[in-house]
Amino acid sequence: MDREAEFRRMYAAHRAAVHAYFTGRTGDRQLAADLMQDVFLRVWQHLDKLLDMPEDGQRAWIFTVARNLSVDALRHRQTRAGTEQALAREPARQPRPPSAEVIAAERVSVVGEAIRRLPEDHRVTLAMATAGAMTSAEIGAVLGVPAGTVRYRLSLARRALAEALEHYDYAAEGR
Amino acid sequence: MSLDDDIAAWAATVRLADAEADAIFQRIVQTPVSAAPVGTPRLDPSWWRGYSAGFAARMVASTRPARRAA
Repeated sequence: MDREAEFRRMYAAHRAAVHAYFTGRTGDRQLAADLMQDVFLRVWQHLDKLLDMPEDGQRAWIFTVARNLSVDALRHRQTRAGTEQALAREPARQPRPPSAEVIAAERVSVVGEAIRRLPEDHRVTLAMATAGAMTSAEIGAVLGVPAGTVRYRLSLARRALAEALEHYDYAAEGR
Repeated sequence: MSLDDDIAAWAATVRLADAEADAIFQRIVQTPVSAAPVGTPRLDPSWWRGYSAGFAARMVASTRPARRAA
């Protein structure tokens, strides 16, 4: 298999997880895409070394690079600033008659805002589980925590989101 | 909508679209792979051999009692 085909296989296998990780860390999907590109640029440059590793080793290498890059990125730009910028990019919500479509969009927006307010560990875990479609064991392996801790974080995150939606539903009933 | 549906809908809004992912892929594979090793430059192994030999010799010498001055 040629170099580009090998890289494509590795990119397809890991890109969603890496992007989800950065989305969780930064709260900004575009910044996450930029950081993901930096990670896979390093994969491209070190491909020969990576191809000698087992699948688990490849993922561990990729996430070690991702962690280092996110530390560098956050050193220059704090998560809070990224979150605020991401929030600023969202169109302001206009009062509209609450059709089913509008309510669904509003609920997603409420969930998004609640996710940005989560503790970083919980936000990263939730993003990797949902946007990255990773299992608790996979998340635990790359974050260096037991799968049980991952499940606990997911449970707390879901509880926080459920509370945010309850508040939204309560307010919506009053309209 | 259930909580799971809401979370799944949020995940869909942040997930990279295939077209975005493909564009990133193309940018990366068009980057030339540098011939020079990436990362911190390393010392030549012969330097380390000389350093280790010198270090060991000094360690051994330091354990010997100092000669009295005549």
